Amino acid sequence: MPGRSVSFYISLGVVFVYCAVALFAPAIAPFDPFAISGSPLAPPDAAHILGTNDLAQDIFSRLVWGTRATLILGFLGAAISVALGTFGGIVSGYYGGRVDEAIMRFLDVMMTIPSFPLLLILTIFFRPGIYMTAVLMGFLGGLQGVRIIRSQVLSLAVADFVVGTKALGAGDGYIMARHILPNVLPLVGVKFIFSAQHFMVVGIGLGFLGMGDPAVVDWGQMIQRATQNGGIILGLWWWLIPPGLAVTFLSLALAWFGYAFEDRINPRLQVMRV
Amino acid sequence: MMHGACTMIDICDLKTYYSAGFLHRTEVRAVDGVSFGIEKGETLGLVGESGCGKTTLGRSVIRLIEPTGGRVVFDGTDVTALSRKDLRRFRRRMQMIFQDAYTSLNPRMRVSESIAEPLRIHRIEDRAGIDRRVRDLIEAVGLNEEHLNRRPYELSGGQNQRVVLARVLALEPEFIVADEPTAGLDVSVQAQILTLFRDIWREYHTTCLYISHDLGVVRAMSDRVAVMLKGRIVEIGQVADVLDHPCHPYTRLLVAAPVDDKEFSCPVSAGAPAMVEVRPGHWVEATAR
Repeated sequence: MPGRSVSFYISLGVVFVYCAVALFAPAIAPFDPFAISGSPLAPPDAAHILGTNDLAQDIFSRLVWGTRATLILGFLGAAISVALGTFGGIVSGYYGGRVDEAIMRFLDVMMTIPSFPLLLILTIFFRPGIYMTAVLMGFLGGLQGVRIIRSQVLSLAVADFVVGTKALGAGDGYIMARHILPNVLPLVGVKFIFSAQHFMVVGIGLGFLGMGDPAVVDWGQMIQRATQNGGIILGLWWWLIPPGLAVTFLSLALAWFGYAFEDRINPRLQVMRV
Repeated sequence: MMHGACTMIDICDLKTYYSAGFLHRTEVRAVDGVSFGIEKGETLGLVGESGCGKTTLGRSVIRLIEPTGGRVVFDGTDVTALSRKDLRRFRRRMQMIFQDAYTSLNPRMRVSESIAEPLRIHRIEDRAGIDRRVRDLIEAVGLNEEHLNRRPYELSGGQNQRVVLARVLALEPEFIVADEPTAGLDVSVQAQILTLFRDIWREYHTTCLYISHDLGVVRAMSDRVAVMLKGRIVEIGQVADVLDHPCHPYTRLLVAAPVDDKEFSCPVSAGAPAMVEVRPGHWVEATAR
């Protein structure tokens, strides 16, 4: 499937570009994102590629620095959520019985609570910084991930090679780490990418709703500022459009990458190719 | 029953029940009071139709499934009474070979890792020792070093079953439960694998419980044979006795023997079913008529 392969590399490239921008933000951004760098609400010119906002801050610099916040929210949140989901899913699916029952009933209760409103309430309550926000999102998201991993582990736990390893005298921890985990890793990888995409958008949503960390620049807060302080009414496109486009491209690239990755890493397809 | 001078495995009234259905009210008696013994170095064939509890019995004997009741005494040690920790250490003495060799190997592990794994789990050798043992083992089962770097999907069914055997032999177990290890292979490969098994078990003097529904294979592999029906052993004895002169109606059905063989008719008991010795070493469950 050449089409899949092309989209795999293109989307991977786009994600890499975003990561590079986030990593080298201080070198790329021409101005301090918080500093007054010219006249307010100036349209794009040579010095300010994307103009300035109402506080006379350089929008391009803010956009570059905002990449950092968005990627941290997405990837840190995804890492925590996937780690939690994988651990919970493996334990629940492998041990089964009462352990499984307890974890599943707990999740049933948690699943009735809509996670975004809960996240909003938690952020209003605790006013967490960007890292704590990512951790909170990760915990709430991880609860959903447990089920997906568990369903895969259920069939692995009774597979002959797992029973056979038990017969060799291996302990439960060893079997989970060496036999179950490697076989759910592809699924975990796919879950990680889609979670990262999800949490980036959620993070931007939080920023847009005014729950962002005021100490960092993020695209959600940029969009919020633009809509509330007259960006739309005055038709100042350079203020509103760039962060929106940045979100859209990143989100699309991650989704594409996720789908292509899912195809590529599926062990059943791999076996068939061999 | 049949307490020889050197009984390796002594199974006494072993029961494994499953609960199923609504609120676990339905009880399935997969293994329902089975008793027999296996001598040291002997291979006991276990035959019966699918669903009669052969596999459950095989797994219960080495406690891969926890039996509901009864005892399994392994060379003087009561396996059913071992703590989880002691059982894990004890497991190197008893091993299992499954029907499907392909699914018996972790698809993400190379052959060398799979064979070295039992040695690593029990910390038997150091790194160099493991390497040497792995190479010895792969040759003992008729493969060579170039197979060591492959993964299960790059090998054929027969080759995979050889790898499984090497992995199991790494621990030099005294007792092996083989659960239809050749059922998934085609006939020519089957013959090779069976010969390999028999040679290796003779060489290592391994005691074996060989589970199969193929009477031909059981005849070729076993010294004695047990016939299982609905969770119970209905006939047990020397291969020639049981398969050539079956007494129980079900065994006759299996080997397609004439039903009205007067000389070897099934003993009848008035009360509960009980095992009756029709000839030395040949036991039949008396049917209540």
